[in-house]
Amino acid sequence: MTVTTISSASNRVPKVPLFVLAGAIAIGLVLMLPLDGYTVSIIMQAATYAIAVLGLTVVLGYAGQITLAQAAFFGLGAYSLALGTLDLGLSFWVALALAVVVSGAFGAILGLTSVRLGGHYLAMVTISFQQIVTLVLTNWISLTRGPDGIAGIGRPSILGRELTSNVDYLIFSIVVLTLVIISVWKLKSSRLGRRMEAMRDNEIAASVTGVNVYLTKVISFTICAVLGGLGGALFASGFSYISPDQFSFAESIVFLTMALLGGVHSVIGTALGTLLLVLLPEMLRFLRDIYLAVYGLAVILIMIFMPDGIWGFVTLLSDKLFHRIAARRASAPLKLAKNETPSSAPVLEVETLSKHFGGVKALDNMGMTVSANEIHALIGPNGSGKTTLVNVLTGLYKPTSGNIRFNGETITGMAPHALAARGLARTFQNIRLFRSMTCLENVILGAQRPGNDLTPDGGNAEARALAALAFVDLLDRADDLVGDLPYGHQRKVEIARALAASPRLLLLDEPAAGLNSTEKQQLVELLQRMKALGLTILVIEHDMPLVEQVADHITVLNFGERIANGTPAMVLRDQLVINAYLGETHVHAAT
Amino acid sequence: MPLLELRNVRVSYGRVEALSGISLMVEEGEIVALLGANGAGKSTTLRTISGMMAPTSGEVVFAGQRISGLGPEKIVRLGLSHVAEGRRIFPGLTVRDNIMLGASNRRATRRELNADVEEMFALFPDIRPFADTLCWKLSGGQLQMAAVARGLTARPKLLLLDEPSLGLAPLIIQKVFEVIREIQRRGTTVLLVEQNANMALSVADRGYVLETGLLKLSGKASDLAASDEIRAAYLGGRAA
Amino acid sequence: MDIILQLTFAGIGVGSIYALVALGLVLIYRATNVVNFAQGDFPMMGAFILVVCLLSAGLPYWLSILLSLAGMVVFGAAFNLGVYYPLRNRSYLPVLISTLGASILVQNIILAFYGPQPANLPALLPFRGFQIGSVFLDPQYIVIIGVSALLVVLQYLFFEKTLLGKKLQATSQDKEMAGLLGIPVKRMIMLTFVYSALLGGIAGILVAPIIYFSITMGNAIALKAFAATIIGGFGDIRGAIIGGIGLGLIETFGAAYISVPYKDGFAFVVLFAFLMLLPQGIFGEKIAEKA
Repeated sequence: MTVTTISSASNRVPKVPLFVLAGAIAIGLVLMLPLDGYTVSIIMQAATYAIAVLGLTVVLGYAGQITLAQAAFFGLGAYSLALGTLDLGLSFWVALALAVVVSGAFGAILGLTSVRLGGHYLAMVTISFQQIVTLVLTNWISLTRGPDGIAGIGRPSILGRELTSNVDYLIFSIVVLTLVIISVWKLKSSRLGRRMEAMRDNEIAASVTGVNVYLTKVISFTICAVLGGLGGALFASGFSYISPDQFSFAESIVFLTMALLGGVHSVIGTALGTLLLVLLPEMLRFLRDIYLAVYGLAVILIMIFMPDGIWGFVTLLSDKLFHRIAARRASAPLKLAKNETPSSAPVLEVETLSKHFGGVKALDNMGMTVSANEIHALIGPNGSGKTTLVNVLTGLYKPTSGNIRFNGETITGMAPHALAARGLARTFQNIRLFRSMTCLENVILGAQRPGNDLTPDGGNAEARALAALAFVDLLDRADDLVGDLPYGHQRKVEIARALAASPRLLLLDEPAAGLNSTEKQQLVELLQRMKALGLTILVIEHDMPLVEQVADHITVLNFGERIANGTPAMVLRDQLVINAYLGETHVHAAT
Repeated sequence: MPLLELRNVRVSYGRVEALSGISLMVEEGEIVALLGANGAGKSTTLRTISGMMAPTSGEVVFAGQRISGLGPEKIVRLGLSHVAEGRRIFPGLTVRDNIMLGASNRRATRRELNADVEEMFALFPDIRPFADTLCWKLSGGQLQMAAVARGLTARPKLLLLDEPSLGLAPLIIQKVFEVIREIQRRGTTVLLVEQNANMALSVADRGYVLETGLLKLSGKASDLAASDEIRAAYLGGRAA
Repeated sequence: MDIILQLTFAGIGVGSIYALVALGLVLIYRATNVVNFAQGDFPMMGAFILVVCLLSAGLPYWLSILLSLAGMVVFGAAFNLGVYYPLRNRSYLPVLISTLGASILVQNIILAFYGPQPANLPALLPFRGFQIGSVFLDPQYIVIIGVSALLVVLQYLFFEKTLLGKKLQATSQDKEMAGLLGIPVKRMIMLTFVYSALLGGIAGILVAPIIYFSITMGNAIALKAFAATIIGGFGDIRGAIIGGIGLGLIETFGAAYISVPYKDGFAFVVLFAFLMLLPQGIFGEKIAEKA
């Protein structure tokens, strides 16, 4: 119920009408200016390229995955359209659909390889794919007509008017491009787009927040390929002639550079980068011979000095100059989803759980039970296996043996996002937030976990996220980037993200680490309020005064085994526990 | 003049201040224990001394020379060797090679190096059988021995030891601590970070207790071992 | 049978080139965690300097080779300082893209000043090869295989028997700890780039007489070398050698028995298969689980 005024850098201008306006202005200019044929075809190239480059905005900018095969998808789209209309006799529109489906299908296959591979390997796979496509386009002469290429590709007609004139076709391309820009821009703030960005920022945090990272990767690759194919199809029809060398690895690098130069995180940047790099050769005609060398140098310099591209640079400046004012209020206090588990029933049961790393027994035949609505503390000296246990519980590690039940259901070995969907939420010892996002966006991702029952009382995801932020007293920072918050507040944002998911069990991994004594006191109070809300909490902590104050029950680990279990008063006086912490023997003078 | 002196040293990891003004000193020939619960700043103190981290303010003086801000490669050449947390033995090299690389801070002929390695095997007979084994095949205790041996091969005036008992079985811990005594007997000063307070105080001459980035207690090892406050620092008030 | 022997000989020859470039790639990767996408420009550069010295300046072959090797030392050092060093604290993606940019830069500078026409280099040995049974041995292939084998042995001795080699290994395994022991980490990384450039340059000098020199000659070699490292297990030196020679054989036999135009594609098909079925490669260690 708090109303606060904040200043923030988040951009609240409605952009869709702006994009439509920009598209309309571009069309107006094309119609009014006396453009020569060459300029029209250059702009046509830029427009069709930009559609493909926007695919990279999705896969590289949003999802953080690398692909060096966009020219291959561009080519697949172009050849599908050309062969579809010429050899199969399809109409333009059917062939266009074919182009999108063919490239999308290959994109999905490429995305599937990302299930097992990341980083450099993925880059390598995409290069391989690019090379194979080039080889097939060049050598499968009976299908593709080989290195000579295909000529005489037709144009579509719209409302009975065939777009034979280049100006008409350019306007058509601009309309399509505008639609694509709007879609890709809309995608960014959609649930899917947020999941992509969460995955890019922190894959592990995304998975425990309920994001199926593999599926999200496959989808982003598919979207990227679809846009590549669409751009390629429009390119083929616009220029009526295509050949394999237009879709080579070198072109993939050009696409990548366009995205990076403009700023891969934003649609405006992407469009800007494409336009610049298509026009640049014309403007730098005097550099003719060393143009490409300058281009290579520019790539290195951009990486060193402008990692977010031109648009990233511009927005950074404008954020410093302008602050927007927005008001935030939480309409309802935080409520948890209905808890079907009867109070004091076991929420989590761990039986004979072991996790071995090679010969190291990080967890050995360990057992524990967490009952409903208690704060259960897990303690133990450094290296005793606490964090391993949490990682096994949340699905990041597969146990070597043993059994875990959550609300009566066996969950041993389930994937992190599947566990999140069942109401298991956690925080991390070394905070894992989505760094490019605001506090609110972080917490919304928590609220949007699959299976979170939002409507009854909880309202929509945003309302729920605001309530969670209010609960941890951070409503006034809702629109700030999480990186701008002090460390103690970042911990609270992480807790809010977990709370917004209405967890049935909340795992807190060393929530007091790095907090000063005032913040620790606030944490104690927060933990008590969370318990009052009906939450079940498993907390791993080194700070004994804090554990003493909040825990109903303590389990002590040492060398991966449980050495004590009971109320704080019992456990903290246990000789085994004292020995584990302070060491058991005095060394005798070596004589 | 103390061998090592920290003057009001502050260190931060990004926004988190890990050390909020630490002053301590180590005299030549001593074993000094630095104690405290997890996250108190013990390892950070060692990392700052050896140059892996730069203090935001304050200074570190070693053998009369200001070393804060010098960087680890330079500091180790002055005779300050750091056996880092987690042992950090190069897994793809043999025990012999690991120990030999400990001498990277000084000029030495191959013959001298071989003699140094032999000396270490005399001090740590348990790892001699594994001299030519790749280190990833070793157990935790053997790795700890190798790490200490590597640290000593630098022939340091001051040896920083970070949690040498971590994850080791009690019998092995006993052995490690016997070696620490032997190191002192041979004339090397030791600054020891430990969670295992009882064990550390049993070999140390003096001790400091850290609590969330600040020094809480200091004194003779025997006095500290007898005090209840140590126990409270680790296990909270109720245990004391 | 004879044809099989003949193909095996050629396959090992081509594979040796891939192996040399792959070795350089692995060394840089182990020292810096960066995959150098401009690795193919090392052999191109080596061959280019040879072309300039031999054909344009008319110097003797041995002197041209020496100058080329010297040039590669400078090139490797410049590459480290210009492309890797400024980005050393960033994630892999900016560095990867920066190496791609370097590749474009280098190729096009040479294109601008030298022109696009490929150059034909004379073979290193002046005789026409000989026949053993029905197998014809091309002298250039013999040189390639011989020099590669020698380099592999020398590299093994260097890394396993010298202190400097061990310092390099230590640096690639744990940079921070290496620094803590007093090993000059920056210098070790510089050395790695220089050595990697040298290996690539030698590969270029060896291969140029059989494939013609062109500014894009390194692209295909680099891609095969990448594939070789992945097949062998990324970061593993034995893997790079076996992967390289394996790919050379696959390609040669594929071209002979399946299809010539798709010769360059076999490597990638095999790579796909490996990535899907055995992503750790032949010698790759299981990547440690981390959270």
